[in-house]
Amino acid sequence: MDVNITGPKVLWTSPWSIPVLGPFRLTETILISWVVMALITLLCIWLTHDLKVEKVTKRQAFAEMLVETADKFVIGNMGEKFAYFVPFVAALFATSLVSNLIGLFGVWSPTADLNTEAAWAIVVFTIITSQKIKAGGLGGYLKGFTQPIAVLTPFNVLSELATPVSMACRHFGNILSGVVISTLVYGALAVASSKLLGLIPGAVGAVLSHVPILSVGVPAILSVYFDWFSGVMQAYIFCMLTTMYIANAAEG
Amino acid sequence: MGNQELVTIVPWTLIAQLLNLFLQMFLIKKFLFKPIRNVLQKRKELADAQIAEATKAKDEALAMKSEYEKNLSDAREKAGDILATAQKSATKQSEDILREANEQAIALKAKAEKDIAQEKRKAVNEIKDEIGDMAIEIAGKVIERELSAKDHEKLIDEFIEKVGEQS
Repeated sequence: MDVNITGPKVLWTSPWSIPVLGPFRLTETILISWVVMALITLLCIWLTHDLKVEKVTKRQAFAEMLVETADKFVIGNMGEKFAYFVPFVAALFATSLVSNLIGLFGVWSPTADLNTEAAWAIVVFTIITSQKIKAGGLGGYLKGFTQPIAVLTPFNVLSELATPVSMACRHFGNILSGVVISTLVYGALAVASSKLLGLIPGAVGAVLSHVPILSVGVPAILSVYFDWFSGVMQAYIFCMLTTMYIANAAEG
Repeated sequence: MGNQELVTIVPWTLIAQLLNLFLQMFLIKKFLFKPIRNVLQKRKELADAQIAEATKAKDEALAMKSEYEKNLSDAREKAGDILATAQKSATKQSEDILREANEQAIALKAKAEKDIAQEKRKAVNEIKDEIGDMAIEIAGKVIERELSAKDHEKLIDEFIEKVGEQS
């Protein structure tokens, strides 16, 4: 039995090609991302239809709670002056969370593709850098790399670049490891049940050995950790780091 | 078809995911934050308006209360004045009545004294006449003769004078 762990399927490749970027390839990552976005947006629309000032429904109370929680999280970590970051952090968290959990439905998780996290980390890195330049000016920003002594400049540049790389890889690694481990466990359990049931002599054993009976139950327990816990934690950690890094950058 | 490698950076996918993030941010802002913030703002305005209204009502009530208290104290003062006036007039009236009664009593007493004096005089006259007659009769019987009218009168007058002096 072969167990293959590969990247997302490429669903369509454009006939045209742009220099450097090459032909556009529509992968599962992009497609499922659109599904995730559609889900989040529909949920938002459903939550906020028919809003009332008085006598709110449970649905509206939940929506208000979401907004207030996002406000509290961002303002608590970054301060009142960064209140305009609330939609950005909320989008980051919602996309990350839904992307992580959508793997539970057996589809490709967009966050199991490094490109997704890399894109987010690039955005966060850009914001961090712009906040640093805003706080200390371009000269102050560049001078910061030579502190405390000029010899350390390469290391400072490296550590600056390590921030987005570590953010992206942490999130990606956690989700991918979940995918890898559950694939391995599925494969192993299928082989084990095939061998176990193959011990039954005759035609009954031959039929039953094709049913991966041991695959029921055990992967579900693993999924509690790798999909649910890890999925929620990584979304939270990514947003937490985003707010912290940006707030720190603004302090100069 | 085919598969992308497991760990790789594909510029197109990266760009697509970058745009997706911004699009998602815009969508969440439009469909979740904007309507919810709107309704929260409206609720806050409503609460503020109600508080302002309540404050206004309280101020009005306090103004009314002070006005009522002022009116009440005015009324008390007026009532006191009225009472004092009434007492004064009552005292005066009672004094008048007493004085009048006194005067009347004095007048009555005077009249009664006058009447008594008159009665006395009348009684004296009557007795005088009677005594005169009696004296004439007695004298006639004593003397057993008729006295001349002239003698009579003389005798009577003398007698009366004596009686008058004695009474």
